[in-house]
Amino acid sequence: MKIVVAYKWAPNPQDAVVATTGEVDLSRAKPAVSEYDPVAFELARRLADATGGEVVGLTVGGPSIDTPLSRKAALSRGLDRLVVVADAELEDADGTRIATVLAAAVRAIGDVDLVLAGDSSIDVAQGQVPLTLAGVLGWLGLAAVSAVTAADGGLVVERSLPGGTTVVAVPTPAVLAATADAVVPRVAGMKDILGAAKKPVEVLDLAALDVPAPGATLATLATAKPAGGERTATIFDGSSPAGAAAQLVGALRQAGAL
Amino acid sequence: MNSAQSWIVVADDTAASGLVDLARSVGDEVVAVVAGRREVASSLASAVDRVLWLGEPDQAPVEAYGPAVAAVVAQATPRTVIGATSPGGRALLGAVAAALRVPVLAGVSALEADGDQVVVTRSVLGGIAEHRTAVQGGTTVVAVDPGGAVAGDGDLAPLEELAVTPLAATVTEVRPAAVAGADLGGARTVVGVGRGLKAREDVALVSDLAAALGGELACSRPLAEGVDWLPKERYIGISGQHIAPDLYLALGISGQLQHMVGVRGAKVIVAVNSDKNAPVFSQCDFGVVGDMYEVVPALTAALGTGS
Repeated sequence: MKIVVAYKWAPNPQDAVVATTGEVDLSRAKPAVSEYDPVAFELARRLADATGGEVVGLTVGGPSIDTPLSRKAALSRGLDRLVVVADAELEDADGTRIATVLAAAVRAIGDVDLVLAGDSSIDVAQGQVPLTLAGVLGWLGLAAVSAVTAADGGLVVERSLPGGTTVVAVPTPAVLAATADAVVPRVAGMKDILGAAKKPVEVLDLAALDVPAPGATLATLATAKPAGGERTATIFDGSSPAGAAAQLVGALRQAGAL
Repeated sequence: MNSAQSWIVVADDTAASGLVDLARSVGDEVVAVVAGRREVASSLASAVDRVLWLGEPDQAPVEAYGPAVAAVVAQATPRTVIGATSPGGRALLGAVAAALRVPVLAGVSALEADGDQVVVTRSVLGGIAEHRTAVQGGTTVVAVDPGGAVAGDGDLAPLEELAVTPLAATVTEVRPAAVAGADLGGARTVVGVGRGLKAREDVALVSDLAAALGGELACSRPLAEGVDWLPKERYIGISGQHIAPDLYLALGISGQLQHMVGVRGAKVIVAVNSDKNAPVFSQCDFGVVGDMYEVVPALTAALGTGS
């Protein structure tokens, strides 16, 4: 089985600085393999080992996603090889544009049975790109996947949905997005990190992928820091803990919060 | 583009009031396309102007209708398409967005229509900033919280059944969830703890207070992912849970934006922190400046004695 893991090299907005104007400065947020994507690497590796297949990492974005560090970070997590589309035109691209380029790269890789992805990216956090990718490819796309095994002519997929665990028989090809805790990803050891340097990396040229033009553009009219964060607090002095506790409980009762 | 129309795509869920309300805010005519059971389609008949139903799904997962939904929507090219943020909702929106080659915007709080253009007010990067974004040159596709059951008082729209073939996939088993884990979203009171906690065994200090309040225990990110003292599903913040309880207590939490966006909807916020300059004190309704190791047990005691 030929499995592509679509992952993101992204900054963590936990380390963002947000100005009062709502401008977000991510320069202090170090990029990394996005939080939940290692789960997809691990699921892919286990499925490929069980079926005698190959795991190809795939990431697309601006030029900053392709560095020796970013290559090593991905290739040390159980991939056989890596495919990258890094182009200035994809800096700050919206999710549908990213999904369209991913789809073109999946087609260029060829004979792909399964695309696996993480639950959602650490920065945009919508969980949308894998499902839009499925839409572009015309394949079935399922999110909330907690387990996947190979079966005759396809896959048996377990999903963790509000109504309970749902089992779906899925023919390939398909796109699956894992839950954040589907499996515990392995921690890359020194051997994995050294081995990563020897694995092949293929850089695809965006222009050669023949990606259709976007059907709409986004224009940011205004930014703001979210309102509602500021509250005026009544402060009690905790140097007398019992006194402060009694005052607080009284105030909460009066406010109807208890 | 059909400027008068707003479409909603419904993924087998009768909770769609959020979709209908938003669609009404920007469309004279609201058309629903339903991938799911007949009862879901019927529930919308009094709330929207047209209901397009793709037939009984039998054992097909709702996601198998993505291409069919996309084809129907793309043919109409409405100004706005609205769907749910649920896994099925996102799959249908993904198919629509792929067909129209337009972005899917989430975290949406309002839409304003202006000719063919729609201006979207939305939170970005997990809620740390808000943008007003104009979608230009194509259909505006948004994902929103599905809301509750649809309450309509309009005329019953007839179900227009379309014959479509879903993608091949079969649901073979559904195992209902046994016991739900932490229900932070439904809790009236939530007690959150942060880096002010010094050791794993001290979690008991905070869970005692949560028990005295009849509330759920939660934490900021470092306790769930940095040191693993509390399970991930109890972590509140931009990439964790967003909650709106009646009462939220932030204990030993400094008040970084990345945590506070997750509790912004709380009616009353209480903060306990030893640093009187901690940013949390400008984002709470009541604060105690003091050592949480002294204040928290005193609070538990004060609640227990009913004083």
